[in-house]
Amino acid sequence: MESENLAFDALSDRVRRRILSALGDEGELTVTDITDRVGAVGRTTISSHLRVLRTSGIVRERRVGRNRYYSLDTDGAVRDAFTYLQSIMRAGVDDLQQATSAAPRESDRGVG
Amino acid sequence: MYTTVAAEQTVSLAPHEVFALFGSAHATGWLFSARCDAVAPGAIVSMQLPLDERGGSRGVDILGRLTRVVPGAMIDIEHTQPWRGRICLRFRPAGARRTRVQVRASVPLEGVQWLLHRRGLPLPEPADDGAVRLGVITSASGTGAVYSMSAELMAELAVDEINADGGVAGRRVRLVVADDATDADQAADEARRMVRLGCRVVFVNSTSASFDAVRRAVRGRKVLVVHTVVNEGGGVSPTVVRLGERPQAQLDALAAPVMRRADARRWFFVGQTYVWSHGAHAAARRAVSRAGGHVAGEDLAPLGTTDFSDTLDRIQLSGADLVLSTLVGADEVAFERQSEAAGLRGSTRTVSLVLEESTLAHIGPRASAGLQTALSYFQDNPLPGNADLLARYRAAYGPWAPPVTSLSETVYEAIHQYARILHVDPEGDAANHGRALSRRRRGSHGDAIGSRDLVAPALYVAEAGPCGLEIVEAVREKAGA
Repeated sequence: MESENLAFDALSDRVRRRILSALGDEGELTVTDITDRVGAVGRTTISSHLRVLRTSGIVRERRVGRNRYYSLDTDGAVRDAFTYLQSIMRAGVDDLQQATSAAPRESDRGVG
Repeated sequence: MYTTVAAEQTVSLAPHEVFALFGSAHATGWLFSARCDAVAPGAIVSMQLPLDERGGSRGVDILGRLTRVVPGAMIDIEHTQPWRGRICLRFRPAGARRTRVQVRASVPLEGVQWLLHRRGLPLPEPADDGAVRLGVITSASGTGAVYSMSAELMAELAVDEINADGGVAGRRVRLVVADDATDADQAADEARRMVRLGCRVVFVNSTSASFDAVRRAVRGRKVLVVHTVVNEGGGVSPTVVRLGERPQAQLDALAAPVMRRADARRWFFVGQTYVWSHGAHAAARRAVSRAGGHVAGEDLAPLGTTDFSDTLDRIQLSGADLVLSTLVGADEVAFERQSEAAGLRGSTRTVSLVLEESTLAHIGPRASAGLQTALSYFQDNPLPGNADLLARYRAAYGPWAPPVTSLSETVYEAIHQYARILHVDPEGDAANHGRALSRRRRGSHGDAIGSRDLVAPALYVAEAGPCGLEIVEAVREKAGA
């Protein structure tokens, strides 16, 4: 599923932004409420976005009987942001291994 | 309040060898595709945060300067985009020809908020503290981040000075800043939020595309919209004001003189696919035609273009000996660097309309040599009051703060002007304030910081040399203009 790969940058993903913005405005909403507010896309798409957002810790789910309510999880979102920063920092220093193998070594420059 | 994120790695190279990899072409852009022309204190650096794993965008640029460099041991970077933070690299010996490399990033609360907002989360809404709220939209990311580096700092400086002076009609002033990501829809979203938060004015220190989107988004909301960067004009009303330079005046100052000096008349126009370049190129056609030149070709690229090789081919094929660039920010940086690398400097002279100190620094001295522009403010222009302004700016943000530019100085002065208007007429509506802001200020004693005529500013022609933009001429106002 496309939204499974949740990119950090929501600038290009208007649907996700609208879901989060609706939750920011209203506090807690059901899938039906969110679908009504976001418009343009169906309930299935909204549900799959919500599942990914929940897995990332940005949105939390509360069950009451057969109903599920969604709201923003700000602490979870902050943790998610740090996990992301940590991961790109990790990737940044890992790139160094690759960079060192491509680097010209002083000993290879043949000054004798 | 800063939070630190760190990572480290041990590699099989001596410390000075690892150090030499930073920003080098050999190291495939380590760290985060770092680009810097020199590894020395004060050098401009840009890196890329890989935000979009799906490859939809080219990531977000971290833009700043090297502030401390100890060869073989440390590199410290201070950056203002996309948030104000610091990145420190340490290289420590770890046995024979091995080095432990440590990278630490200090991320302020605003940086975390920026990340959350970029992730799609709504920004927190500050509680009403009775302050007068002023909205400022700048570009902390995207193409415009390059020319916006000092915009937020200068807006903040103006607000701090207003508050130090007692505020506006007895109330404190509070800045609400947002990053439009150089994206018109994002600018409109941010403007709507500013209106919701009670801002009575939104200063748009961004592209004409963002300005247009903001103007539409807040229409009928009794909010004043002020465009504070060089722009093509048009679309104004009592509640919509456009300040800053106009291409017509810039080209009047640039086109004929450069044709005379270079003994050249064939132009090629390079710009972007939006209203700014459309307007600027129309003005340029008139100026070129009046000066007896002609346009051999034109190329327009969308915002965010990184590869100009086709454009460069077209320029060379056209036989043009003069180039007009209306590209902005990172696109202008890419175009000028690629022009120089392709050898275009030998056959053409280039004038560029949005070439302020920050964009120039990213182009670098080699690729920018000889470029000309005409703007109303240059950091090195000894206008009355400029030394004081720069001293206050450096005192507030340190010696490595990004250059003050025509764009950031204009938003600074516009905020001061607006505050004075509001102080005198606190009950007035947006149209009253807009009309007052649109009134021309003709200083009886010439151009001076704090009393510049932002509606039709005096221009200075400058040329890029080894020491940056050097003013070659103060443009005299035409009689009756």
